[in-house]
Amino acid sequence: MGNVPGKLENENAVRSNRSMSTSAALPHRTNGMNGARKARTSSMVGTILNSRRCSESSDLNPYKRKSTKDKERLKERHVKQLIVKHGESVDGGFLAPYGSSSIEKVDYDAGVVKSLILERRLAPFYTPLQDYDESWSHQELVKIVDGLPLHAPFSEDVEAFEGVPLGDLSQSDFDDLIDKSLSRREQRRMRSMIFNARLYRKRLLWQERENEKFLESKLEAKKPGARSNPCLPSDDLKFELYYKGVECPICFLYYPQPINMSRCCLQPICSECFVQIKRAEPHFPHDQDEDHKEEEEKDPNLLTSEPTNCPYCATSDYGITYDPVLTRKVGLQGIKPFSYVSGNLEPVESSEPARRRSLAATDRLVVTSDSLRPDWQVKLNKERMRLARRSANATAIHLSNQLVTPGHQASSNLQTHTVPSSNYHPEFAAAHAHDNGSLWPSNATAAEIENQMVEQAIKLSLAESKAAKKSSR
Amino acid sequence: MASLPKRIIKETERLVLDPVPGINAVPHEDNLRYFQVTIEGPQQSPYEDGVFELELFLPDDYPMEAPKVRFLTKIYHPNIDRLGRICLDVLKANWSPALQIRTVLLSVQALLASPNPNDPLANDVAEDWLKHEDEAIAKAREWTKQYASRK
Repeated sequence: MGNVPGKLENENAVRSNRSMSTSAALPHRTNGMNGARKARTSSMVGTILNSRRCSESSDLNPYKRKSTKDKERLKERHVKQLIVKHGESVDGGFLAPYGSSSIEKVDYDAGVVKSLILERRLAPFYTPLQDYDESWSHQELVKIVDGLPLHAPFSEDVEAFEGVPLGDLSQSDFDDLIDKSLSRREQRRMRSMIFNARLYRKRLLWQERENEKFLESKLEAKKPGARSNPCLPSDDLKFELYYKGVECPICFLYYPQPINMSRCCLQPICSECFVQIKRAEPHFPHDQDEDHKEEEEKDPNLLTSEPTNCPYCATSDYGITYDPVLTRKVGLQGIKPFSYVSGNLEPVESSEPARRRSLAATDRLVVTSDSLRPDWQVKLNKERMRLARRSANATAIHLSNQLVTPGHQASSNLQTHTVPSSNYHPEFAAAHAHDNGSLWPSNATAAEIENQMVEQAIKLSLAESKAAKKSSR
Repeated sequence: MASLPKRIIKETERLVLDPVPGINAVPHEDNLRYFQVTIEGPQQSPYEDGVFELELFLPDDYPMEAPKVRFLTKIYHPNIDRLGRICLDVLKANWSPALQIRTVLLSVQALLASPNPNDPLANDVAEDWLKHEDEAIAKAREWTKQYASRK
C-alpha cells in the first residue's frame, strides 16, 4: 500500500503530458492537405473535439454533487457520442463502437477515445466480420463488406424496460410520467427506470436514422451515372481492409489489419474489446482480516482500485499501440474514402507488427486503459469519502448515545440514583467522569460536548476536502 | 434475451470439435449460456477415478466477467465448500477475458490435482488437511468413491 500515492501522482503527471501532446499534435497533421478539404475536415474535427472540451469545462469540480437532471443530461450526451455515423470515418472504420448495446459496457470517455482515433493512436472501430473465409474471391469479399451495417441490431424489447412508459420522446421533460403518490425513494427509482428506457429507445432511433442515411447514400451511389458519395469507401479500400483480417482473441470476430497491439506482449485486441477493459470498482484489498469487518469499521483509505492487467500476460498498466498504414490515411484528416486506390498491396503484406519489443506504459505511443477513463481517481476518492462519511456518522451516533444521556450510565453504575439529564449536578458528573477516565472536562455540559464534537467534525471534513483537492490535481 | 455473442457460439463449437481430455461441457438446450460440465478426477490425486459434475454459467458481461462455476457433486477439498463454490484465482480477481471456458475448466482440474489448504474456502477441511494430511486424503478418496463414481 505504501508506494501507491507516489505511483498515482506519477500517472497523473503522465496523463497531463499526454493530453498536451494530443492538442499539439493535431494542427501539424492537417498541414499537408489542400485548402478546401482542410477547411472542411478541420471544422468537422473541430466539432468533434469541441464537444470534448465543453464536457471538460462543465466538470470543473468533479466532486461537486450533480443534480439528477444534470446527470441525465450528461448521460444523454455520452450516448449521442456512441452513435456510429458513416460520414465520420477514419481509415475505413468509425469513431463509435459497432456492437455494444449496453451503455455500461462503453462507459469510457467518448471524447478521449474519438480524439485518439483521429490521431491514429487507437485503431478505429471497424465493423467486424462474423467469419472469414480465405477462399472468398475479391468480388465476394467486396460484396460482403458492402452489406455490413453501421451498428449491430439492437434488441427491440429489453426485458428490463418492459412495460416502462416512455412518453413523448421529443419532449425532454417526463416528470408527468412519474407516479407522485409513491414514496420519494420509489419515485427516484421510477424516474431512473423511465429515463434509461427512454434513453435506450432514443439511442436506437438515432442509430436507425444514421443507418438509413448510410443505406440511402449507398443506393444513390449504385444508380447509373450517379456521382459517387465521397464518404463511401472505394472497392479497393473495402477489399484491402478486410482481406487477411485478424481474429480478435477476446470477441472472436474478424477485424482489418493493423489492429491494436498490447504494449507488453504484442498481442492483438480490437478497439471494441479494448475500451471495455477497465479497473475493478473500488474495493478493499483481499486476504485480510478486514474481510470480516462491517463496512463502517474499515479504513476508507484502504479502498483501492488497481490498474488493469494485460489480459494476455497479466502485466500491470495495460496499454496498446496502433501502427496505422501511412499510405492508407482516409476519412477524417485523410483523403476521401471513395478516392482510395490500392497501390501494390505491399503495406498489407507487411502487416507484421512494426514494433518487436515491449514499451513502457508511459511511452508516448502507448494508450493505457486508464487514459480512456480519466475519472477513475475521482471515482475512487468519492467512494472513499462516502465511506468516511458513513463511518463518521456511525461513530457520532455511537458517541452521542453514550454521552447525551449520562444519567443513563450513572444510574447503571450507582443503581440507586436516577438523574434526569436536564438538571443533573456537575459534581455528580465529575465523580462519574473520574470513574470512567472520561476525556471530557468534568464540568462539561451536554451542549459543550456537542459543540466540541461539531468542531471536531468540521475539522475532519476540512482536512478531507483538502486531501481530495490535492489528489485531484 | 439478447442474441448470443459470436464468441460464445465459437467457443461452444470449438469445445465440441476439439474436446479437452477428461473434461466435458455441454450447453443447456434452453439456455446456451448454461453448461453442464463433468470433470474426471486427475490421476494420482485422491479424486482419481471420480467423475465430478459441475455447472458453468456465462454472465451477460462474459468475457469481461468470469464465468460462474460450481461443483454439483459433493467433494472433500480445502478450496471447495459445501455448496460447491470454488476458491480459484482465475474465477475472481485474476480473471482475464483472454481466458476461456476451456482454460477455466482445466484450472479447476488442476486444483483437484493440487489442493491448497493454505488459502482455504472450506475451513474445516483445510484444517484437517494441514493437521492430518493422510486422514484427509483418505476421506477425500472415500467421498470420491461414495459420491463421484462413474455411473
